[in-house]
Amino acid sequence: MSLRVDKLCWGHAVPGGGWRQLFANFDYQSPTGEFTVVIGSNGSGKSTFLNLLAGTLRSGSGSISLHDQPLQRLPDHRRARRIGRVMQNPLEGTSPGLTIAENLRLAEGRRRAVIGWHGLRGIHPNQADRRRYRELLEQLGLPLADRIDTLVGQLSGGQRQTISLVMATLGHPQLLLLDEHTAALDPKAEAMVMDLTDRLVQQLGTTTLMVTHSLSQALRYGDRLVMLHEGRILGDWNAQERQHLTPDGLREMYGAARVRQTD
Amino acid sequence: MLSLWLGAYDQGLAYASLALGTYLTLRVLNFADLTVDGSFALGGGTAAVLITKGVPIPFALLAAMVLGSLAGTVTALIHTKLGVNDLFAGILTTTGLYTITLRLMGRSNIPITDLNPVINLPDFGMGDDGRWALALTTVVLGLIGLIALFLATDFGLALRAIGNNPSMARANAIHQGLGLTFGIAAANALVALSGALVTMYQGFADVTMGIGSLILGLGMVIIGESVLRPRSVAKALLAVVVGAILFRLLIAIALQLGLEPVDLKLTTAVLLLVAMSLGHIKLPGVNATALADGPDAAVPPPQDEAQSAGAAQSAGIAKAAGPASPGEQP
Repeated sequence: MSLRVDKLCWGHAVPGGGWRQLFANFDYQSPTGEFTVVIGSNGSGKSTFLNLLAGTLRSGSGSISLHDQPLQRLPDHRRARRIGRVMQNPLEGTSPGLTIAENLRLAEGRRRAVIGWHGLRGIHPNQADRRRYRELLEQLGLPLADRIDTLVGQLSGGQRQTISLVMATLGHPQLLLLDEHTAALDPKAEAMVMDLTDRLVQQLGTTTLMVTHSLSQALRYGDRLVMLHEGRILGDWNAQERQHLTPDGLREMYGAARVRQTD
Repeated sequence: MLSLWLGAYDQGLAYASLALGTYLTLRVLNFADLTVDGSFALGGGTAAVLITKGVPIPFALLAAMVLGSLAGTVTALIHTKLGVNDLFAGILTTTGLYTITLRLMGRSNIPITDLNPVINLPDFGMGDDGRWALALTTVVLGLIGLIALFLATDFGLALRAIGNNPSMARANAIHQGLGLTFGIAAANALVALSGALVTMYQGFADVTMGIGSLILGLGMVIIGESVLRPRSVAKALLAVVVGAILFRLLIAIALQLGLEPVDLKLTTAVLLLVAMSLGHIKLPGVNATALADGPDAAVPPPQDEAQSAGAAQSAGIAKAAGPASPGEQP
């Protein structure tokens, strides 16, 4: 099993006093290479789950392991070596003051300890690095291959998110986390980024969790669809079972869950 | 007059290392490091103590840099390990450094006037200022080369990413605590080197010599960037050094024009304010588009002859009637 979550617990204080236990003994497993789409209403715990996996939130108890190696005691930078991540805001995943080639170089070196002697070996990105990145972007069919020396800050939101996605898949991550990574994009850029996402995940075989609010994306992409509600799995469908689902059906499930919660 | 230019050049180069250190913390790491006020004096004090004890100058400079880097490390650890805000971390270290520098020096001021540290270098017929110019140019060019090379490695790239977007750096497995610590330590080593060079050049170290160093370094960085508008890291480093020289030159000219030394700090502050305000001040009647299009665009095209004459007179270019004496002005 690639990703294994056992008895995960996490909660937070709520304004005005009190405590909200979002995850209580939460279990989740994903085999190597599985592309899971996670949906759920606001506050259902989708992004919190991804943050707990990435280590930007620390769990109260329980265990998270990747290829049978526990993640929780690893410091942030060592955990990040194994996890690629694309966030909702296109401004977060790249450095605007660095060029495309420089951003890709940093992502490619994810597995190396660049703060240290290893980081002093040669000038980078050099000509060979640039050629490699140009070829990579050409292979992916991205019209940025001839702009690798452009500052990322000069790119559009969609282009920046494309670079973020390519960066997240460089350096062979064992887990790819996509947190509503197309939510801030216009429909054209969204289609481009989702197409690239699908191709990269299929090509690399990386275990992937993608959080989205788009039901059309949920019904189209991935090998598995999971619906979260209040930190619990409300629905779990494989690709075949998903074919029988409709956006209206999923909306009804959202509504029914809310009603049960209110009751 | 040559002595004025050369003296300003030498002083600018002595301060260039301070400006380079400030560039590293403020521009590369995006970290407002007030430790520089303490590490500048620490470097000066260390050099003065060691040189007066007969320690060879290269070793004295190296010792100053090591102590400066330790000071930077303390600030970085206070910030990264204890979570103290960058400004407070720097102020804490600087406050402590005042005592440490005073203890190290034994007294508040150490003169080293009997020393001519660059005596063996050729002077090109320009005396000590020529020797200093040669020595300092070599040191500063070496520093620019080293820092430019370093910033072009993966290590340097990672430091630039930490300053540019910490969120991206975290997601790409860059150890931010270690990176910040190294960067701040290196910057303070440069600042302490500057303190040592300034001490040697001016012939004494004073425990208060570091006051205002951060703002001084920042001013040099801004002046250099305003004048050269660099588009690459190497050119930015060169611009910082040019800024340091220009800054000292402006001070030298002000002193030459009769400025009292007691008014120097206020003049420095005003000069820096002007430098920092460049690009933020709108001149009456001049808009940014006109300036971008060149000086000619700021003058509106004449509508008719009378207006044309008026516009020309207001621009101070109506000289057909010959120069008028002040008494003839209405």
